[in-house]
Amino acid sequence: MVFFNDLANPVHFDRYTRWLFPAALGLAVLTGGAGLYFALFGSPADYQQGDSVRIMYVHVPAAWMAMACYSSMAIASVVGFIWKHPLADVAAKQTAPIGAGFTALALITGALWGKPMWGAWWVWDARLTSVLILFFLYLGYIALWRAIPDKARAARLAAILAIVGFVNVPIIKFSVDWWNSLHQPASIIRADGPSIDAAMLTPLFLMIAGYMSAYVAMLLASMKNELAARRLARLLSAGEEQMAGLVER
Amino acid sequence: MTRKQKRLGLVGGVLVLAIAAVGLTLSALRTSITYFYTPSELIALADAPTRAIRLGGLVADGSVAYGETASNQSAMVSFVVTDGGASTTVRYEGILPDLFREGQGVVVQGSLDDSGALMADTVLAKHDENYMPKEVADALKEQGRWKDGESDY
Amino acid sequence: MNRFAAIIKRDLALAFRAGGGAVQGVIFFALTAVLFALAVGPSLSLLSKIAAPILWTGALLATQISLDQIWRADREDGSLDVLVETSDMLAVTALAKAIAHWLATALPLIIAAPLLGVLLNLPENVIAPLVLSLLIGTPGLSLIGCIAAALTVSLPRAHLLISIIVSPLYAPLLIFGAGAAMAEPGSAQVAANLMLLGATTLFAAIISPLASAAALRSNLD
Repeated sequence: MVFFNDLANPVHFDRYTRWLFPAALGLAVLTGGAGLYFALFGSPADYQQGDSVRIMYVHVPAAWMAMACYSSMAIASVVGFIWKHPLADVAAKQTAPIGAGFTALALITGALWGKPMWGAWWVWDARLTSVLILFFLYLGYIALWRAIPDKARAARLAAILAIVGFVNVPIIKFSVDWWNSLHQPASIIRADGPSIDAAMLTPLFLMIAGYMSAYVAMLLASMKNELAARRLARLLSAGEEQMAGLVER
Repeated sequence: MTRKQKRLGLVGGVLVLAIAAVGLTLSALRTSITYFYTPSELIALADAPTRAIRLGGLVADGSVAYGETASNQSAMVSFVVTDGGASTTVRYEGILPDLFREGQGVVVQGSLDDSGALMADTVLAKHDENYMPKEVADALKEQGRWKDGESDY
Repeated sequence: MNRFAAIIKRDLALAFRAGGGAVQGVIFFALTAVLFALAVGPSLSLLSKIAAPILWTGALLATQISLDQIWRADREDGSLDVLVETSDMLAVTALAKAIAHWLATALPLIIAAPLLGVLLNLPENVIAPLVLSLLIGTPGLSLIGCIAAALTVSLPRAHLLISIIVSPLYAPLLIFGAGAAMAEPGSAQVAANLMLLGATTLFAAIISPLASAAALRSNLD
């Protein structure tokens, strides 16, 4: 918690991002590049799906990140709402577009995978529907932030929406277990160990690491931008006030 | 009522609502809300559904037969969908997905005709959560460990 | 308890007076059904298959367009400040407002639904599950909508924003509600859908008062 309190100070945040951002970016390029190599060339084709299985290495990490981003957004919202932590508010706000991007990627790659394998781009089964709803939850959250001019108020209100919308995340996770869905059940997180061959797990985990570090890098960069924009807005309005004061005098 | 009593009332109300909601969910999930019926479930229904339904199961081995109209890719095809217990005959005219093959899971959509066969207008292949290279699959088959504890459909 | 009843009574009086929103909601509901029927065309068999989901969607949309008024009317005439200041439990006040909204907006829709069902060639054995699912599900619509209305009350106008916020949250109610009416009548699927619908509404009843109260407080700081 000391670390986070320390982070609340924008100057300290700058100090941490100075090395954290390049580190995350480097890790993303490294693991993502290696992951892509193994995904496309260094891993075997599936016994049923052939080479189409390679879509999995893009699709599954994107779907994971779609949920992980929403969860981090909800956690940051709770922290921002209860402890009035300004950096948590900014983190939640800047996570939303990234999460929406991952969700869109998961939906699009899912459709590209579904057409040859299932025989349909899209079906309205529980998993696909709940992920589509997640995408619209992100959009609603972003829209609410944009609609409210006062940043502090927008943060509190958007936090309430993010927390209410969190109910969808467990629904996504368990949709394939609760309902007979067309989407297959979990392959990695399951009681009796992963049901994916080891040769296929390597690229998958590399890609997941790549996506996660890409998220951290994008988040840090966009938080830095947002903080700079806010500082600029404060300086501008302070400048205007001074000018107004001079004119009156 | 004092403030404290009101608060207790509020907490109690929330608790009662939460228990009721969880109870309803659990009992609803016991009768599974299905994206599809299995052949056994279909047979267990008191009277045959009149509207379009989805049926899920495995394509029975050796049951795929192409009809005489087979002239191009879009051929009349019939196959049997089974869940181990019961089975239903399905007839379909159209292009089958890549993953469609005997022993593989499918979800078909259509309506039942008088003979109890399903006239499908959509056939979707379902794939399971197992991913492995072909060599591993062959090795598992050789060792007789293929589809150990295969989950049901 | 008196205060709770008084809030509901006042809102109902406002909704049903001349120019109030209650009648307009029903007219809107009827028009969505008519527009759907016109778009589908003359096929009565097709229409009868999709009548229940049309009516559910129509009820959802009619509820949705009336949400903006839940708190805004009170804010405009200044009574919202009084409501918030004098509530020692704002969440209970929010619950009263949601109940009043349901009585004024959703109940007339539920009464109108079977009549519109005739227009849409709704099968007779579907009327009972449809009305039951609307009775169980529409309180959920009012409750969740109450949150969105509270979130946006300080904005000059928010119809579109409320729709964007609330539609994804409405999805489970629509799925289970229309699902109950679309399942084979009398089957276990009807009961299962109704139970999940009820659970969703109860869950909304827990979250909505708390979230609405928090949103109102954040908006009036």
